[in-house]
Amino acid sequence: MKKLIEITLGILTAIGGFVDIGDLVANAESGARFKMSLAWVVIVGVIGIMVFAEMAGRVAAVSGRPVFSLVRERLGAKMALANLFASFFINFLTLAAEIAGVALALQLVSSVNYLLLIPFVAFAVWLVIWRVRFSMMEKVFGLLGLLLLAFAVALWRFGPDWGALLGNATHPSVPFGEGHPTYFYFAIALFGAAMTPYEVFFFSSGAIEEKWTKSDLLVERMNVYIGFALGGILSLAIMALCASILSPRGITVDSLSQVALPVAFVLGKVGLALLLLGVFAATFGAALETGLSAGYTVSQYLGWQWGKFVRPVEAPRFHLVTLVSIVLGALLVLTSIDPIKVTEYSIVLSAAALPLTYFPILIVANDPDYMGDNVNSWLSNSFGTVYLCLLIVVSIATIPLMILTKAGS
Amino acid sequence: VLVSCVAPARTFEPYEADAVSTAEDALAASETALLAVEASEKDNVTAPYLSVVLAESEESAGGVQGQFDSIQPPGTEGDALRDELDKLLDDATQVLEELRVHVRRGELEKLPAIAKPLEEVSKKLDEFARAHER
Repeated sequence: MKKLIEITLGILTAIGGFVDIGDLVANAESGARFKMSLAWVVIVGVIGIMVFAEMAGRVAAVSGRPVFSLVRERLGAKMALANLFASFFINFLTLAAEIAGVALALQLVSSVNYLLLIPFVAFAVWLVIWRVRFSMMEKVFGLLGLLLLAFAVALWRFGPDWGALLGNATHPSVPFGEGHPTYFYFAIALFGAAMTPYEVFFFSSGAIEEKWTKSDLLVERMNVYIGFALGGILSLAIMALCASILSPRGITVDSLSQVALPVAFVLGKVGLALLLLGVFAATFGAALETGLSAGYTVSQYLGWQWGKFVRPVEAPRFHLVTLVSIVLGALLVLTSIDPIKVTEYSIVLSAAALPLTYFPILIVANDPDYMGDNVNSWLSNSFGTVYLCLLIVVSIATIPLMILTKAGS
Repeated sequence: VLVSCVAPARTFEPYEADAVSTAEDALAASETALLAVEASEKDNVTAPYLSVVLAESEESAGGVQGQFDSIQPPGTEGDALRDELDKLLDDATQVLEELRVHVRRGELEKLPAIAKPLEEVSKKLDEFARAHER
């Protein structure tokens, strides 16, 4: 019974924790501009993150060490350094975007300018990382993030033309007025949002924080295969709602307030309040994850003591890196740079750097010295290899498409 | 920075494409405001949320107008196009400004009447974009 509760809680946390500011913006923007024509990308992205998150979690549970530490040991300092630079930079942009996302959610509740709220948000993120237990913070924000299901409820209450949505999703086409380069640019943004690198580093390090062992592999797989899949369905609900309500009116999404508007329109004040609490929890939870991931990656590469499973005094450099990253992330968004643009760039650039993150995971997950009998199955390797090829194509196409489409504008 | 650079339009076609893009962005801002006001009429949104939505719509419409006006029209044909679109953009931003002023005063009941002209402006922006889209 205890195991069942643990699995259920893990799945619910994974659903709530799956969607962050990047997913919110990318799915809403794509739905409003391309209706369901890019739904297939969400499915491809969710399968991809499931494949690699399962590998990363399994590596951590079996070897008792996080992926980043093994990457350096297995592939050498130079390869791991390239991985570190790419992952840290993308993670930093994502952290800045999440801090801005929390402030924007609070702005929608209070109408206080988000720039005034950012210092308080950054302080709160640091304080929670410093003071709150890992399992507590993961569960609280993951479960509160479930309030984003308001998108799915609003879609159901709105009663869209399900046949048209399904037809559009299964027969994707580029809408009139949009070009193919823009279509593929948004496809890359959605793919990057689903496969954000911090998710696997956090998942892997979280497995160590939670003291997972081989006996927890069932929980790990359930979290990934059910939790992430249901998180993907939530992403599709956001896309479908915006396709049904915003797209027919010619509304394109360039702010968080527009993302919430369809829910308010259908469900009213209560729905809006629950949604904004969900957005707050999802972005705050992701800010915690990216803040911690900054500390995880640097500390694991340099061999420092890391993690929340030891007292802060025993891992001072880990906490220092985390603190400095949060402060710099807050300063970046305080420059009054458009936070939605930061979000868009973070997910698109993460797509460009994906092979550097996922290739080493595939290598380590196949090494019997670390994994023993738990090396990748032929199925994991088939998916992993196909996805690696896809990641390389995506990473090559990202920057040219970004310039060609003026970042999708 | 690189991707947001806008080159001056030297011929009519790219200028017209910029005009279409501007009209579509202004349409999006106007329609966002109309949807928010409709939700407000049904008592479906809170005042702080509505205030943010309307302020952002105004900012968005004003921003695209400023960006479009900074482009040099390529000739008399361009001048005519600019005058036609600027009239619509002025009308839209004026209504959006009034909506923002009244929502901040808490006069939510006045918003539907104030927003009424925006429906017509929005329709004309849509027609403009369709007429000039290639």
